[in-house]
Amino acid sequence: MSDTPFKNPGFAGNTGEFDLTEDQVRGRDFVPSRPLEGGHPSGTASYPYMLPEKHPDAPLFEGAYQERFEKLLTRYPDRRAALLPTLALAQEVRGHVSPETMDEVGKLLELPDAYVRGVATFYTMYNKAPVGRYLVQVCTNISCNLCGADEVLAAFLRATDTEMGETSADGNFTIVEAECLAACGFPTCVQINSRYYENVTPRDVPGLLERLREKGE
Amino acid sequence: MAYPYVSDREVRILSKHFGDPAARTLEGALANGRYEALKKALEMDRGAVIEEVKTSGLRGRGGAGFPTGVKWSFMPKDSGKPHYLCCNADESEPGTFKDREIIRWDPHQLIEGCLIASYAIGAEHCYIYCRGEFFEASSILAKAVEDAYQAGYVGKDILGSGVNVDITVHIGAGAYICGEETGLMNSLEGRRGQPRVKPPFPAAAGLFGMPTTVNNVETLAAVPHIVEHGGEWYRQWGTEKSPGTKLFCVSGHVNRPGNYELPLGFPLKDLIHDVCGGIRDGNALKAVIPGGSSVPILSAEESEECALCYEGVIAAGSMLGCASVIVMDETTDMVKQVRRMAYFYQHESCGQCTPCREGSAWVTKILRRIEDGRGKEEDLETLVEVTTQMTGTTICVLSDSVAAPVQSSIEKFRDEYLALIRRGERVGAA
Ligand SMILES: Cc1cc2nc3c(=O)[nH]c(=O)nc-3n(C[C@H](O)[C@H](O)[C@H](O)COP(=O)(O)O)c2cc1C
Ligand code: SF4
Ligand code: FES
Repeated sequence: MSDTPFKNPGFAGNTGEFDLTEDQVRGRDFVPSRPLEGGHPSGTASYPYMLPEKHPDAPLFEGAYQERFEKLLTRYPDRRAALLPTLALAQEVRGHVSPETMDEVGKLLELPDAYVRGVATFYTMYNKAPVGRYLVQVCTNISCNLCGADEVLAAFLRATDTEMGETSADGNFTIVEAECLAACGFPTCVQINSRYYENVTPRDVPGLLERLREKGE
Repeated sequence: MAYPYVSDREVRILSKHFGDPAARTLEGALANGRYEALKKALEMDRGAVIEEVKTSGLRGRGGAGFPTGVKWSFMPKDSGKPHYLCCNADESEPGTFKDREIIRWDPHQLIEGCLIASYAIGAEHCYIYCRGEFFEASSILAKAVEDAYQAGYVGKDILGSGVNVDITVHIGAGAYICGEETGLMNSLEGRRGQPRVKPPFPAAAGLFGMPTTVNNVETLAAVPHIVEHGGEWYRQWGTEKSPGTKLFCVSGHVNRPGNYELPLGFPLKDLIHDVCGGIRDGNALKAVIPGGSSVPILSAEESEECALCYEGVIAAGSMLGCASVIVMDETTDMVKQVRRMAYFYQHESCGQCTPCREGSAWVTKILRRIEDGRGKEEDLETLVEVTTQMTGTTICVLSDSVAAPVQSSIEKFRDEYLALIRRGERVGAA
């Protein structure tokens, strides 16, 4: 049931010779979504697909998320090791990791505030400030760059009328440059929230943004 | 055909089921013979499993090419401490895109490899460290691990053998340096992913201070095949020093980029012109990076005779790394691409070592200046000098990775730098 309206973007290797659906390639027929409470403890750290609605004031944690947080703790010999997955959980519910969120996570794990801030700011995937509903990360590293990634990045900025890192007026899009996403054979690779769009050309950009506006991911 | 990138010159062992969605399910995996090697391994002595892998000559696929069986034999026998296995699925070397394909198409192959390796080194817990961007791949992996737990292949008393192995899928948060094995361990412990000074080596004091082995996804995925068919069987492919098959990730200016599984020693020329359908638009080849952005660039002439095995690429003047072949045609703006690579390392430097932190920033700045037509001829000497000081002087080899593309490009494409400096001209620019 692929409804990719383009020849290319949407999934790796869709060169027209590919007779699989998008869901089959992405494995969404196998894992439609990960359960909010994390499923088996072994996979608790892996994300369910990012929640569409973020609540910057959501509690850390309650309900399914509390359950998931507790399962996480069972997988490591100390609480510190749960720090990265816990920050990711916090970002999942709140949309970004503010300094206050870092401190709260520190309390949960009994780690000093300064330590947690030092760790959280080391990693690029924690958004330190709010981003648009869609965080568009365009790989401009070498393999994609050789195939025109700079033009793809420019096309996204043009189509959303933003500067790099800025959120569009309608709150939908934040465009940033990304380092290699490990999909170099399918240039240009663009990560939008949790999903990779491969083989993206400047021509595809307006349609891709339209698809996101209308149908979500 | 389902998976678009195939060639009849491939030997598909690890990639046999790429493009078959059924291979992800436990039933599909069992039908493909997964977990047979695990049963066999569990009946063998731990030492015998290590011997078999040593016999195969399998070398680490994460970049350094260290013999896997030898690495495993460094693990203590009766330490009385918990041992750990870390599967390195951080895949972030520019040009590399094989581990994600293994994970998302055939996750049980990797899980089986993790189980066998854990058994061999006496680890009761294996962490699979996936880079944070792999939402889809890690979800597939997490589901597959869950299925394997339910069927009794993972967890306590695996298949009634008395052996316990837990597997946890752990997710990173965006930092190339967490692919370095000690950076990975720090990151897993909830710290900044900064590499550690060695010694102590991971086999003595690694994750949580315990004996640890770190192996790449592709390395571990090869293990079940070796255990099932024997080490000698694996040696029917490849060369004496580089046995077996390897996934080659080809990107850049070829007609059919993608992952191709080929015997090691395969001619680079044939990979580009035959397997990958040649250079796009019938252009001429300019340069090839044979092993990901951290290795020296080969000129078209050097690539002509290059055999894709560890020793063959060294003989040609570069390194096989993780076999990420980046192909550049005559339209390539070399200075711009080298600057882009240097920028990457500047961005990803963890900042602990002065030569790396300062050097990568300076190199990027100078390259940017040359690119913008404001360079001076002395800049080339400065670049060589700075990158020389960045080589062999730091905690990890990220710093050396800056030197490789910069020095090799200045040596081989000096004219292009000079043209830009003298006349502000650049190749390939519109
Ligand atoms: C800066 C840097 C980045 C690395 N990134 C990766 C990586 O993303 N994946 C990987 O498997 N190995 C990576 N390595 C190599 C690992 O340190 C380690 O050698 C490897 O995981 C060992 O596994 P193997 O013996 O199976 O190759 C990196 C090394 C360095 C110095
Ligand atoms: S060489 Fe660079 S990345 Fe490696 S430890 Fe030193 S500063 Fe960090
Ligand atoms: S260079 Fe763009 S995904 Fe690797």
